[in-house]
Amino acid sequence: MNLAFKDVRHNFLRFLLTMAGVGFLIMASTGMIGLYRGIVEDALLVVNKIGADLWVVQGGRSGPFSESSAVSADMDRRVEGIAGVASVRRFVQISQQFDFEGRDLRASITGLDFPKDRGEWVQLQEGRYLNAGHFEAIADESIGLALGDQVHLGRDDFLIVGLTHGMVDASGDGLMFVTVNDAMAIARRRTSEEILLARAAAGRTTAVNSSESSVPQDSKIAAVLVTLDKGADEKRVRTDVLAWGDANILSRADQRDLLLNQRLWRLRLQILAFTGVLLVVMAIVISLIIYMLTMEKLHQIAMLKLIGARNSVIVTMIAQQSFLIGGGALVLGLAMSQLVFPFFPRRVVIDPSDFAGLALAVGAVCTFASLLGIWRALKIRAQEVLS
Amino acid sequence: MREPILSVRAAARHYRSGDTIVKALDGVSLDINAGELVAILGPSGSGKSTLLLIARLLEPPTHGEVRIRGTLVSKAKEQLDRLRDFRRRNIGFVFQKANLIPFLTASENVALAMEIDDVPAREARRHAQRLLAGLGLGHRAGNRPTRLSGGEQQRVAIARALANDPTLILADEPTAALDGARGRQVIALFRQIADTRGAGIVVVTHDPRSLDLFDRTVELTDGRIICERSGPRQGLTR
Repeated sequence: MNLAFKDVRHNFLRFLLTMAGVGFLIMASTGMIGLYRGIVEDALLVVNKIGADLWVVQGGRSGPFSESSAVSADMDRRVEGIAGVASVRRFVQISQQFDFEGRDLRASITGLDFPKDRGEWVQLQEGRYLNAGHFEAIADESIGLALGDQVHLGRDDFLIVGLTHGMVDASGDGLMFVTVNDAMAIARRRTSEEILLARAAAGRTTAVNSSESSVPQDSKIAAVLVTLDKGADEKRVRTDVLAWGDANILSRADQRDLLLNQRLWRLRLQILAFTGVLLVVMAIVISLIIYMLTMEKLHQIAMLKLIGARNSVIVTMIAQQSFLIGGGALVLGLAMSQLVFPFFPRRVVIDPSDFAGLALAVGAVCTFASLLGIWRALKIRAQEVLS
Repeated sequence: MREPILSVRAAARHYRSGDTIVKALDGVSLDINAGELVAILGPSGSGKSTLLLIARLLEPPTHGEVRIRGTLVSKAKEQLDRLRDFRRRNIGFVFQKANLIPFLTASENVALAMEIDDVPAREARRHAQRLLAGLGLGHRAGNRPTRLSGGEQQRVAIARALANDPTLILADEPTAALDGARGRQVIALFRQIADTRGAGIVVVTHDPRSLDLFDRTVELTDGRIICERSGPRQGLTR
C-alpha cells in the first residue's frame, strides 16, 4: 500500500495548491535564469551571427558594443589591402525612436554592406532579403511592424521586406536591417537646433550647397568587419592594423569578453544574485512545506510505529511525498514557463541544461526536506499516539 | 498448566518529580491467560495506563519483569524500539479513540497492519474484508473514517487489532467515547474474540455496565492491585 499516494489522493486539492505554489517558485527561478541567458544571447547575437573573424574599430576604443566608435570612411578599403583579408564589410548600428501610425516605436538600425551583404546571415521568419541598395528594411517582429509596412526613418520611407524573430540588441530593442548607406543617412539626420548650433560652432551661417553638409560630419561607420582567408595569419593582420595608430582590432572572442565581462557584468551579477535569492527562498519554502506535512502526520506516524511499522515504511512515505511535490512542481513550473514566458517583453531562454540543473537543485532540496521530516518523524515515540 | 499469554511479575514503575519519587506502579503481578477477558479498573492515577504502557512494550518497568508468551520483554528503554516486530506480531491495540489513518478506507486501515507485516497486499485486503464483515462492517469497508460513526470506527480499530491474529489484545478505555449500548457492543465483541480466537484481552475501563461480560476484574489503586474478582462466568475468587 502506498501511503504517500493515498494521502495525496485524499488531500488532492491541497496537494495541487502546494504543488502549484512550488511550481510558481520554480517558474520564477526558471524565468530568472532564462532572462539571464536571454540577455547574454541577445547581446552576443550580432557578434555570433554576423560571421566576422575580426572587428576593426576606432583606435584606443573597444568597439561599438562597449562605447561609441567611429572609423574613417575609407577604413574598409585600407583593411581590404592587408594580406590575408578575404573580405570586409562596414558596420553601423544606431538606436532610433520613430513614429509609426501614431505609435512610438524603437529599433536598433543595423547597416548591411549591400550588395556584399544582403542579410543572408539573418534568419528570416517571413519575406525576403534586401534586393535594392536603398529604402528596403528587414525588421524584427518585436519592433511591431508587419511585412509591407512603410516606415519613415530619417528623411526617407522604408519598405519592410522581411521579418525576423528574436533578433534584438543588448538593450532589447529589435534590430532593423537596412543598407549601410541608408543607415548612415538615418544617423546623419539632425534637428534644426543641432544644425544651428553646429554652424555657430564652425563659424558659418549658411549652407554651402544642397549636397554638402554645412557642418563637419563625423564618420558614422562604427567598425569594419573582416573575414580572413583560410590559413591567414590573424596575428599579422592584427599587427598591421594596430600599426596605423588610428584603429584598434578585436577578435570575436574579444568582443564576447567585452560584452559579457564589461558592458553587461553588473546586470549579469544582479540577475544571478536575484536567481540565487530565489533559489534560497524556493529551498526554504519546499523544506518548510515538507516539514509541515510531516508535522501534521506525527500522530499517524506514532500510530504506525505503535502498530509495528518499520522505519522504512515511514521514511518511504515522507520521501515519496516530498518527491511527488518536487517532481510535480517541476513539471508544472516547466509547463507554465513554456506558456507564459513567450509573452514577456525580453527573451527568456529555457535551456535544457539549466532546467536539468534546476531539477537537480529541486531534487537536493526535496532530499534535504525529506531528511528534515524523517529526522522529526523518527524522533517521535509510539506512545505519543496516546497523548 | 498452560503458560500465561501475559505475565507481569512484581512490576514497578517509578518517576522522579522534582525531589520526590512517584510510584505509578508498585509491585504489580498479573497473569492473563489465553481466551481470558480481563478488566482493569481503578480511579485516575491508579496505575492502569502505566500497566498498559509496560504491557505494550512502550515503557520498561523500573523493577520486575514482563513476559509475553514466555518471552522476556521488559528491556531497557533504548531497546524497546527494537521490539517493534515482536509487538506487531503478538499484540493488538485498541484505544479510547479509534486512531484510524484518515486517508485510508476502513479496509485499508485494517490491511495496513498486515501489509507492514509483509502480507501480500491482495491477501491483506481480502482478510481485512473478512474481518470487517465478521464485525458487521462489510458494507462500510470502502468508507474513510470520517464517514463512519464513533462505534463503527472503534470496530474498525478492533478489526485492525485482530489483523495479525495477536495472542494478546490491550484496550485502553475503548468504550469511553461511546454511548452505553455501543460500549456494551464493543465489550461483547471482545468477549466473542476471546472465546473464538483464544486471545487474552486486557481492557482498561471506567464503565461498570459491562463488567458481567468479563472473566476477571482487577482493581488498582495507588499503583497496587487492591482487589481481583472473577466475573459471573467463573464465580468470585478473591
